[in-house]
Amino acid sequence: MTTTWHADDRTLAAYADGDLDDVRASSLEAHLFTCDRCRLGLAASTPAVPLDRIWAEVVDSIDAPRPGLVERTLLALGVREDHARLLAATPSLGLSWLLAEVVALSFAVFAANGADGPDANLALFLFLVVAALLPVAGVAVAFGPGVDPTYEIGTAAPMPGDRLLLIRASAVLATSVVIGSLAAIAMPGFDAIAIAWLLPSLGLTLATLAFGTWLRPFTAAAAVVLTWVAVSAAAVVRTHDGLTAFGPGAQIVCVVTIVASAMVLALRRAAYEEGIGI
Amino acid sequence: MTVRTDGDDELLRAVAQGDRNALEALYRRHSPWLMLRLSRRCADPGLVEEVVQDTFVAVWRGAGRYRGAGEVPAWIWGIGIRRMIDGLRRRPAGIPRATAEGALMVSAEDEVLVGVEHGDLGAALGRLSPELRAVVQATVLDGLTTKEAATLLGIPQGTVKTRAARARRELREALA
Repeated sequence: MTTTWHADDRTLAAYADGDLDDVRASSLEAHLFTCDRCRLGLAASTPAVPLDRIWAEVVDSIDAPRPGLVERTLLALGVREDHARLLAATPSLGLSWLLAEVVALSFAVFAANGADGPDANLALFLFLVVAALLPVAGVAVAFGPGVDPTYEIGTAAPMPGDRLLLIRASAVLATSVVIGSLAAIAMPGFDAIAIAWLLPSLGLTLATLAFGTWLRPFTAAAAVVLTWVAVSAAAVVRTHDGLTAFGPGAQIVCVVTIVASAMVLALRRAAYEEGIGI
Repeated sequence: MTVRTDGDDELLRAVAQGDRNALEALYRRHSPWLMLRLSRRCADPGLVEEVVQDTFVAVWRGAGRYRGAGEVPAWIWGIGIRRMIDGLRRRPAGIPRATAEGALMVSAEDEVLVGVEHGDLGAALGRLSPELRAVVQATVLDGLTTKEAATLLGIPQGTVKTRAARARRELREALA
């Protein structure tokens, strides 16, 4: 540096001890921006132990893997760090899964846009089926051996298994419902019937979780979905109207299912603690 | 470790390429004054250490964004002081924060001595009350916004503004 002025050792030592008055400290601070020699002099009076410790922590931090996009978004939203990690490790909260949901619903909306007459009814029916099934599928692959990369860790974690399940299932449900609702708004001639999938999907999801206390989540989901499809198909064949499966009667059945499943889940939630369906 | 004599700009360019030795060289060069300067503004050594660590992690990740505008130490200081203000904002009141009415408080005797020792601006600054001087230091010398200075000093924004105005008036009179 070109400057010829330098702080003497006493000034530097007084600054390091916090004993230098404000005015001289301020001018020294400005000088330190440009003067290597005074910085070195100051380093000599700085305790080395905390600096070495901090450096070790800096190295640790830059070696640690950076959290992914989902996790960083959750952290920015104020989600607790451990919950954010658990949610980010949920397969059905990954970007690929969410993207798949959007694509599936977009196809249904696209089909509805090109349809009219009886075709429009069929397209609406297909949209409702897809929207109702997505949350169930998401929850089914959200946990359990084979699909959950953190399954082994989860069984050993100090967090109760049912709590982990609820956090994940709620997050999956919430994202699916948001995506499904946006798709419903995009349906041609948006109408209340476009969100008739909401109760069925809740019922299917909770029933899956309830049966999941006996069966593997995948098996439980398959059983619940197949039963629903069979019953709905029977109703549709009888009335010759696809929307019967989402009509008032069906909605009441869904509410009953939701309540019953919630009760089963509350009573048998310990099963998730012991390991799922094994 | 071998001491690197490259300039800050070269080191920072190397850091942007992922050169960890260059980061260590920057750290050895700039962490001592950064820690001391932060310590003068915060009485909690734990927070200061955390901020120094965060700052150099930020230097590692943000080295590519440095465009050579201004000096590297000033850039590092800008990161550090803002991290510290974020840290102060996160913690509940009651934990020792800034030094406005605390560690920096100088005895009346020292006040007089400072006034005698320095001429002109130095004397004028030295005769300001510690409260006013802390505001001048935070806003003018550290380059903080009113809001940031308020967080650093643990006083309301309005107080920062009135104290800054009073300090300006006193300095103008002293230098007239």
